[in-house]
Amino acid sequence: MAAVATAPQQKSQSTWSLAWRRFKKHKAAMFSLGVVIALVLMAIFAPWIAPYDPTAQPTGDNLADFYFRGPSAEHWLGTDELGRDMLSRIIYGARISLLVGFVAAFAAALLGTTLGVIAGYFSGRPLRFYAGPLAKLAGGWSPWPFAIWRVISWALLYLLLFLVADLAWVLSGSNVQALFAGTASLNNVLSLLGLVLVWGVVLLIAGWGLFGQGKLDLDVAISRFMDFMLTIPELPLLLVLSALLRDTQGAVGQWAQSVFGESASVFIIITIIVLFGWIGTGRLIRGAVLSLREQEFTTAAQALGAGEARIMFRHLVPNTLAPLIVNATLAIGGAILTEAALSFLGFGIQPPVATWGNMLTKAQEYIFTAPWLALAPGFMIFLTVLAFNYLGDGLRDALDPRSRL
Amino acid sequence: MIPLLFAASVVIFTLLALQPGDPLDELRQQNPRITAEQLEQLRRAYGLDQPIYVRYFKWLGRALQGDFGQSRTYASPAGQIIFGQRLPRTLVLSGAALTLALLVAIPVGIFSAVRQYSRADYAITFLSFVGFSMPIFFLGILLLFLFAVWLPEQLPWFPRFPVQSISDFQWVQVTRGEISFFQFIGDWAFKLVLPVLALSTIQMASWTRYMRASLLEVLNQDYVRTARAKGLGERIVLYKHALRNALIPIVTLVGLAIPGVFGGAVITETIFSYPGMGRAIFDSLVEKDYNVAMAALAFLALLTATFNLLADLMYAVVDPRIRYS
Repeated sequence: MAAVATAPQQKSQSTWSLAWRRFKKHKAAMFSLGVVIALVLMAIFAPWIAPYDPTAQPTGDNLADFYFRGPSAEHWLGTDELGRDMLSRIIYGARISLLVGFVAAFAAALLGTTLGVIAGYFSGRPLRFYAGPLAKLAGGWSPWPFAIWRVISWALLYLLLFLVADLAWVLSGSNVQALFAGTASLNNVLSLLGLVLVWGVVLLIAGWGLFGQGKLDLDVAISRFMDFMLTIPELPLLLVLSALLRDTQGAVGQWAQSVFGESASVFIIITIIVLFGWIGTGRLIRGAVLSLREQEFTTAAQALGAGEARIMFRHLVPNTLAPLIVNATLAIGGAILTEAALSFLGFGIQPPVATWGNMLTKAQEYIFTAPWLALAPGFMIFLTVLAFNYLGDGLRDALDPRSRL
Repeated sequence: MIPLLFAASVVIFTLLALQPGDPLDELRQQNPRITAEQLEQLRRAYGLDQPIYVRYFKWLGRALQGDFGQSRTYASPAGQIIFGQRLPRTLVLSGAALTLALLVAIPVGIFSAVRQYSRADYAITFLSFVGFSMPIFFLGILLLFLFAVWLPEQLPWFPRFPVQSISDFQWVQVTRGEISFFQFIGDWAFKLVLPVLALSTIQMASWTRYMRASLLEVLNQDYVRTARAKGLGERIVLYKHALRNALIPIVTLVGLAIPGVFGGAVITETIFSYPGMGRAIFDSLVEKDYNVAMAALAFLALLTATFNLLADLMYAVVDPRIRYS
């Protein structure tokens, strides 16, 4: 897994120059690199390259003349149902797609790496997780993050207990009241029993919460959480989340708009892609770290007195870099695809902002009359995703120390 | 598995309950003269005045008894809509797509691995890259354009595939004797060709690649060399020694992909106007008819959890070296 090439060489070469030499052999990947660079340049310089304003609609007497025009010298890719220039919209669409792709993949890699390395490194070594206000602690309040978490955890525990107790009352309260009012049916008796049982358990836990201490294996917690995320149907949930966050009337939606500001819809899409996107990286890094932490260099670092954070992020993470880079590259293509799918379904970035995905939505309606409207954006999504997939493939070969020159 | 499902249903329910706009909005629009008092009454009748976690447990209690609440847009029970009407259609679509993907991917993957670095192998590798880079919605539109618009226009003998992929024939018509069994099956099959192609492409492409990689890895192992050295025929080496082990990772992969195919059917069903479960989820989100969405999403979560478990168990079945204690 490690990217370190240590074979003795006549002329010493760094890992990266070796990788670059291997990468250059992969013709499709080199070509894809060219495509990606061209796309990035196109996105950055969109205002200078695009021949027209992507949202400008024509004005004039015979408006109908401007709509649905096939490819011509003035409009290389034709015009859409509102007379807007398709080429300009495609060029501006690259900005959204690439922004979403790069930012989402980077953030997902960051999150996945952090959680993955924590899970792998602390596996089998439970950390103090809960200590009640009256608990006698051997190590006092240190380290300070634990001191803060300790207070938060009290609030969370008692809030949860209150909710459970309240829930039990709401579900059974009317039956119990009826029982004391004199209608003793089996249902009412059962309700009373249930209420007593739940409240008893709540009181027990509340008592434990004052004095008790608990330890938690972070690996178990994070791995369970990843399992849980894999149980949730991804695409439908993305739609649900997107509908929730993009709405301008609901409280959650308004909160999201105020947090993300003007280009809220783009960042909301990025956020929900990251929410599901980090799991693959997390599992990958966790697995790698589980084996890396048993190797001698980790023991050496520990013996030299390096702190936990230093071992994790200076010694372990750099050794997982090769699979991480490959994974992140493929994730860029995946994020672009997800954004396009959401926008296509109308749950992503909304018109009039041009994205390749939402251009396809309208285009589907006009497939009989103006098929070129669908071909251009669809082909761009396909080309971009293909390029990132080939790039990832080339990087996989290049960064694998077992593959020869 | 049960705790995971419980947690998943809590999250899905909460997200749907937080969605802006409740079923009463519609009523308010349709009947502007409705009084605040009446609205409050209805709100209580629907249980919307209670906190979310109370509503969740009430929902859970009913759902475990098979009652998923009433659908507003279809004016019938949500469970009946999803499980009685929509799920069978999605099962047909996804089942056909998965079968097609497997039937193509495994032989093609084997062929590609056996002829490694041949021209055919390069072509197959390239095509599989194209296949899983192809956005399913673009592929769908492309298929519609080619087979429903362009080719029938160019070639008069070419059958025009329908834009709306649902057959008008009902099973009742067969039992009544109005149409023959083959007419029924034929019409359904014809109308499902395009959506099945669209839905199966990604899986077909990625499984081909995995099949090839998996078989290549096995073919380099010592025991395969031993089998060859013993003088066994190439067919026996390939099919009795190598393939069995090469299929192990594929089994897991297929098991894990099945729920994804159901979820991914949302896009396919939307493009081809196929009234399956995915389309129902999409519509219910647009129409804010959350009982329907909740029933469908809960089912998808159950499906995912089940297949994750099955993939683990199948792994132990096909590979005797793995034993769970």
